Amino acid sequence: MIEVQHLTKRYGPVTAVDDVSFRVERGEIFGFLGPNGAGKTTTMRVLTGYMPPTEGRAIVAGYDVLDHPIEAKRRTGYLPETPPLYPEMTVRDYLTFVAKIKGVPRKERRVRVDASMERARVADMANRHCGKLSKGYRQRVGLAQALLHNPEVLILDEPTAGLDPKQIIETRELIKQLGGDHTVILSTHILPEVGQTCQRVVIINKGRVVAVDSPENLTSRLRGSETMYVQVDATSEDTKRALEAIPGVTQVSLADTRGTVNSFEVSSEAGRDVRRELAAAVVTRGWGLLELRPLRMSLEEIFLHLTTDESAAPPEPAGADLSASAEASADGQVGPAEAAHEPGENAHE
Amino acid sequence: MNNVLAIAQRELKSYFVSPIAYIVIGFAAIMFGYFFISLLYYFDRVSLQAGVGFGGPETVNVNEMLISPLFLNVSVILLFTLPMVTMRTYSEEKRSGTIELLLTAPLTDVQIVFGKFLGGLALYGAMLAVTLVHIGFLFAFGNPEWPPVLAGYVGLLLMGGCFLSLGLFVSSLTRNQIVAGMVTFAVFLLFWVINWIASFTGPTTQGVLNYLSIVEHLNDFARGVIDTKHLVYYVSFIAFSLFLTVRAVDSERWRG
Repeated sequence: MIEVQHLTKRYGPVTAVDDVSFRVERGEIFGFLGPNGAGKTTTMRVLTGYMPPTEGRAIVAGYDVLDHPIEAKRRTGYLPETPPLYPEMTVRDYLTFVAKIKGVPRKERRVRVDASMERARVADMANRHCGKLSKGYRQRVGLAQALLHNPEVLILDEPTAGLDPKQIIETRELIKQLGGDHTVILSTHILPEVGQTCQRVVIINKGRVVAVDSPENLTSRLRGSETMYVQVDATSEDTKRALEAIPGVTQVSLADTRGTVNSFEVSSEAGRDVRRELAAAVVTRGWGLLELRPLRMSLEEIFLHLTTDESAAPPEPAGADLSASAEASADGQVGPAEAAHEPGENAHE
Repeated sequence: MNNVLAIAQRELKSYFVSPIAYIVIGFAAIMFGYFFISLLYYFDRVSLQAGVGFGGPETVNVNEMLISPLFLNVSVILLFTLPMVTMRTYSEEKRSGTIELLLTAPLTDVQIVFGKFLGGLALYGAMLAVTLVHIGFLFAFGNPEWPPVLAGYVGLLLMGGCFLSLGLFVSSLTRNQIVAGMVTFAVFLLFWVINWIASFTGPTTQGVLNYLSIVEHLNDFARGVIDTKHLVYYVSFIAFSLFLTVRAVDSERWRG
C-alpha cells in the first residue's frame, strides 16, 4: 500500500532523512518512532506530497507521489503536527470546505461531514469557531478532516500530542478501529503508544532507519537471552555460586545489596525457563526467596538502546546493532532510570 | 474549477469575518465620496462659467470632466487598500500551518493561486460596487453616456487585478504579514510613480517607463476607450504575477 524506496531529503547541507526504505501493507497500523528531529515529520510530508524527496521514491496507494501527486493525495488523509484549522471558521464550515477541496461530491458532502464529526467525536462542537476550541478538540477536528474523504491511507503526525489521558485512550481506540479498513501510519515519540496501537514499528534516528519490526519481535530480538530478577536473603558469594551452578544459567550478577538481602540478575540461555531450578536452589538451602520475576525489556529501553550513540559507534546494520546493545544491557546492569538520562539527552542533540 | 471556487469562496468569507473587508470597503467609500464631491464642485463651477459665456470650454461633458478624472483617482485608493487585502493571503496560511492542508489536498498549485486571486478580486469587486452609488447619482440627475463608464469599470477591475496579483506574489514570499504588507505597498508605489521621471528622459526610456506604469494604462479606459494594447498589458501582467506566485509556492516545497 505504501512503499518507500531509498528516500533521502536534504535541506541545503542538512540531511533530514537519509536512505529510508520500508513497506506498509494494506490495513496495517504502522508506527514511526523516533526522538524529536529524527525525520519523522519530513518523511510524512514526502508521503503526503507536501514536499518532494531529494532522492528516492515514495509510492502511496499505487501512485508515485512525485509523478501522480493528485491521484496519491486523493487517497491520503493527513493530520499534520499542528492541525491545519482556519480559526475564523466554524467546525462544520471548515469540514465542508475540506470536503470541497478533497473532491467529495456535492450530494455526499453533508453525510461525510456528519460521519467524520461523529467518528472524531466533535459533533457537539459543530457550530463553534475553530479558533475557540481547546487543544484536544482541535486535534480531533484535524483528525475529522483527515478522515473526511474516507481515504485508503491515513498519515497521522503525533495524533495524541497535547491530549489529556482520557482523550489519548479514546484516540488510540479510534486509530485501532481505523486499521483494517485504512492503512495507517502514525508517528510518535511516546513509546507505550506504539506497543498499544501499532502492528509494526520503524524506529528512526537522525534520519536513518534503526529497526523495522513488530513491537513484540523488537523486544525479543533485543533480549537475546532471558533474564530473571532474584532477591534472596543470604550472603552474596554463596548465593552467586549456587545460582551459577544451575544448568542453563550463563551469568549471574549482583544488582543490589541491602543488609543481608541481595538482588541478582540471572541470565540464561534463550528460550530456557530456569525459574523452577532457581527457586529450588534457593529454597532447598534454607534461604529466603523474597522475589523472583522475569525482566522483560520494555520498548522504552529498546528505543533508548537503539537510538543511543554509545550503543554502537559506527552505523551498522540493525541486527548487529541490536545484539551489541543487548549484551551491553546484560553486562552492565544499567538501571532503566540511569539509562533514561544520558541517551535521552543525546537523542535531542 | 470547483476547487478554485471553493478556495475563492473561503478566501472571500475570511475577509468578511475579519475587519479587513470593512476597513477596505469603508476607506474606499469615504475616499471615493470625497473625490466625487470635489470633482462635482469643480464641474459645477466650470459648467456655470460655460453657461454664462466667460471663456472656458465650449461644451462641458460630464463623462470627460467628472467621471474620467474620478476613475483615475481610484488608483490612489488602491495603492493604500489592496496591500491590506493581499498581505495575509499566503503569509497567514504559512504561519498557521493551514498551507499544509492546501498543499496535501488533491489540488494543483495553479488552482490554489487562482482561487486566492479570485477571492481577492471578489472583495475588490464589492469595493467597486459601492462606488456605483455615486455614479448612480450622476445618471439620476444628469445624462452621462454609459458605455465610457462601463469601459472605465473594466479598466479599474483590470488595474486592481494587477495590484492584487502582484500583492499575492509578495505574500507568497514571506510568512510575516507586516513584511508582506509593507513590501507590497512599496512595490505598488514604485509602479505608480515609475513614469514621473519619464518626461525628463530620452524617447526610448520614456516609452518604456510609461509602458511599465500600471496607472498610465488606465487613461484610455477612463476616457471610455478599450484598447487591446492596454488589455494585453493588464492581462499579461496578471498572468505573469500569478505565474511567479505558483513558482514561489513550488520552490518553497523544494526548499522545505
